[in-house]
Amino acid sequence: MKLQTRAPRTTAPILIPTPPRASVPRRLRTQDALIITCWTSVALAVTLYLSSGGAATVTDIPSAFSALGIVTGLVGTNLILIMLILAARIPLIDRTVGQDVAIAFHRQLGKPALYLILGHAVLLTVGYALTDGSNVVAETLSLFNTPDLPLAYLGLGLLLAVVVSSVVAVQRHLSYEVWHVIHLLSYAAVLVAVPHQLSAGAVLAEGTVQRIYWIALYVLAFGAIGIYRFVLPSVSSLRHGLRVTAVTTIAPGVVSISLSGRHLARFTGAGGQYAVWRFWTGATWWHAHPLSFSAAPNTATLRITVRDLGAGSRSLAGVRPGTRVSFEGPYGIFTDRVRSSPYLAVMAAGIGITPVRALLEHSPLHPGEATILLRGSDQNQTYLWDEMGALAHRSGSTIYSMMGHRPRGLDTWMSAQALSSGVTLTSVFPHLRQSDLYVCGPQTWTDAVVRDARHAGLRPQQIHVERFDW
Amino acid sequence: MRKRAVYASILSSAAVLAVGWQIGTMGTAQTSVVAATTASDPATTPPSTSGSNGATAEAPSDTTTTDTPTTPPDTTTTAPATAATDGTYTGASASTRFGNVQVQITVAGGQLTEVTALQLTDSDGKSVQISNRAAPVLREEALTAQSAAIQTVSGATYTSEAYITSLQSALDQAGL
Repeated sequence: MKLQTRAPRTTAPILIPTPPRASVPRRLRTQDALIITCWTSVALAVTLYLSSGGAATVTDIPSAFSALGIVTGLVGTNLILIMLILAARIPLIDRTVGQDVAIAFHRQLGKPALYLILGHAVLLTVGYALTDGSNVVAETLSLFNTPDLPLAYLGLGLLLAVVVSSVVAVQRHLSYEVWHVIHLLSYAAVLVAVPHQLSAGAVLAEGTVQRIYWIALYVLAFGAIGIYRFVLPSVSSLRHGLRVTAVTTIAPGVVSISLSGRHLARFTGAGGQYAVWRFWTGATWWHAHPLSFSAAPNTATLRITVRDLGAGSRSLAGVRPGTRVSFEGPYGIFTDRVRSSPYLAVMAAGIGITPVRALLEHSPLHPGEATILLRGSDQNQTYLWDEMGALAHRSGSTIYSMMGHRPRGLDTWMSAQALSSGVTLTSVFPHLRQSDLYVCGPQTWTDAVVRDARHAGLRPQQIHVERFDW
Repeated sequence: MRKRAVYASILSSAAVLAVGWQIGTMGTAQTSVVAATTASDPATTPPSTSGSNGATAEAPSDTTTTDTPTTPPDTTTTAPATAATDGTYTGASASTRFGNVQVQITVAGGQLTEVTALQLTDSDGKSVQISNRAAPVLREEALTAQSAAIQTVSGATYTSEAYITSLQSALDQAGL
């Protein structure tokens, strides 16, 4: 049996009950509020049309087409603005659901938004053609001669490019950089559609409340992007002036990068969080890397650890001490702050160890409170395990390691050997039901762990996962 | 928690939609009054004693971009006048973003007998198309209603509003 005890189990765990954490119910309530706001805004988009008396204009089939066309346009644009807000890395959203969940939702909205906007164009063209008794082609030509409409068509084309490139990029046919540049076009796509919304439609006509609300939505979305993605990151990058102090290879293809800078006492990162890093050398400045801290940020040093997952992260190994570093963040809720239960169960596989290590270092733990399982397929994946052992020892936590490949054809997170010897989540973590489970590792592995954890009776708010696939 | 959020979302969305619907149906009744008031053009005529309801002084002179399509208002909006003089009257030109609209009316025997469009929205092919479709409908409505309190043509809101403005101005001159 490969399941080894790395540090002696504390014999009599004296558990001082953790004080109830008020932030968790509040976080869930805020989460609900965000969801409600999101869907209500969609209803509000429809209401813009209804309140302008739109429903009364529907008298026959052509006018029904046109009405539906207007509503799809309003709802589609509303969804796109929600997508922008989700991608803006707003602290409230990051604290409440985590930026990874926000981005997952952002992705889900992409296709529906595109279909609605396409529907907007098609339905209105058909509606007008029916009203005028002309055909769709002639109608499209005459629409092109309407003020602001050519720009709107341009926006539609850009939007198509953005969504198609995202779908293709997900299928790994497109490099991250190309995808990213095309994605920036989405800002242009949304903006060039504005003039026709304000001039061609009756719903958002001058002097209406509807128009004011709509413009406010745009200001909110673009303001959030501007402030949280550009202004604040630039300000804190300039304030801290980070530079690389050391680059250490700690395993084949894995490097730890230490950083230092000014005013690090005011750096707000917590263990388990990540930031999006940019290393200002000729070969790497155009690539931003989302990387977790591999040690809890302190007043002297920040440390990140990276494994070569692609050409971009491979080139980081060649970064020299002294290189300037800018960053956006820190982000993420893989932290001590979202704990909800008295015990702590931690699982890490491969490079997933980085946020777990920083989390553990940053958590005030009672002896016996935490149990840790480290997972690797072979000896090359044991980097940072020594540091984990030391941290576990210091906090009186139990630590296990499980080495070996997963059995072929079986959907499990365990090694073949552990599986055959009857290891389960509950045998590793005796207090699992009263634990917060923190999991970080490859996606399929994480999915298998989460499935088993749900099966063992853990509630969703007890499970904390950090994703790595973006 | 999740489930609660879903129910709350449905509830609040339904509430928002209901309010929107309510405003929409109320709004059309209100806008028809607004449309009627903005229709009388203060630049060309003093407010007539009948029909207009005092708000004409503040009404914008010619750029009526009132967005809401109007439903036929209660027929009592414009009281039938008594002192109409026979003849032809040219309404003020009303400008829209798609071009100017101006109409001429013929009054015979105290009745509105003809409305001729001197100019219609014509900034581009689409506008001309819309104008050509809307004009006969608006003329017919005006002759039936014997006033400018008529329904706008859907899909030709700008043209209709401007048509009504110019028509009202001509009617005011005629004392109709």
